[in-house]
Amino acid sequence: MIIAERKTFDEIKQIVGDAHKILIVGCGTCVAVCMAGGEKEVGILASLLRLDAKREGRELEIIETTVERQCDKEYLEPLAKKVSDADVVVSLACGAGVQFLAEMYDTKRVLPGLNTRFIGVAEHEGMWTQRCMACSDCILGETGGICPVTICPKGLLNGPCGGTNEGKCEVDNEKDCAWTLIYRRLEKTGGLNNIKKLFPPKRYDVQTKPGKVIHPAYEKGEGKAHE
Amino acid sequence: MEGECHFLEGNIRAKKRVNYTKGLLAEVKIEPERLKMFNMGASDAKEFAHAADEMTKIAKEFGPSPLKKIKNRKRPAIRRIQ
Repeated sequence: MIIAERKTFDEIKQIVGDAHKILIVGCGTCVAVCMAGGEKEVGILASLLRLDAKREGRELEIIETTVERQCDKEYLEPLAKKVSDADVVVSLACGAGVQFLAEMYDTKRVLPGLNTRFIGVAEHEGMWTQRCMACSDCILGETGGICPVTICPKGLLNGPCGGTNEGKCEVDNEKDCAWTLIYRRLEKTGGLNNIKKLFPPKRYDVQTKPGKVIHPAYEKGEGKAHE
Repeated sequence: MEGECHFLEGNIRAKKRVNYTKGLLAEVKIEPERLKMFNMGASDAKEFAHAADEMTKIAKEFGPSPLKKIKNRKRPAIRRIQ
């Protein structure tokens, strides 16, 4: 899932400026799970803005709402009235959600309340770690399900650098060396022969931005999927 | 006492949440010291009284809540029920 963190209150306050009516839109998927932009976090941010306004003697009206996903138009359409009533909209979605909301309501100022960090997993309660760079050229099948592009700070594809030290990384000795992890995993799964395989240089050509994926069943033009 | 909660690790979790909430208060420039968690048993009346005294002292030191300082609005009149 996508992991994000709330911006500091000062930053949010600054970008909101002197708006009198703020709509805060939460997203009920990834950022709700990582406790950054779900219904509860919308409530917390709304309370902070209200307390701050009260402390400064300012009038402020806040509307709170959370949709299932901000990266799907069908969930954004019902927000039309609320968006139109607000001076500004603060989206607590990942960067994709903020942009989609801003695109749909392009006459309204839509502001980000989060910093999107990475694609990752929940290690344990309240802690998430990065696992995928969305590189469009997955090699996990060869590396025992451990991604050297993400886990190795240098993104090395063919074994560790000279800085690996008893299974730890020279960049940060708190972190495991990705290639030591890969070796151990391949050893466990009987795939150590894979370690001898040489990977060609990473295909950065498939990472052109902005990415676009069309499912074959949804391509336009008759019979395209079978061509 | 800490770690000896009836709900096992409940008061340790509560401690983390109280600390998090103190951080939220600090973000909106409200003294985080106005919030404090005390651990005590259900029958620790003396500890409760001490905690109440301590919080009263802290509240007096800080003065009225910053949310009440700016008050140009009139209080709504209290209606008496006849």
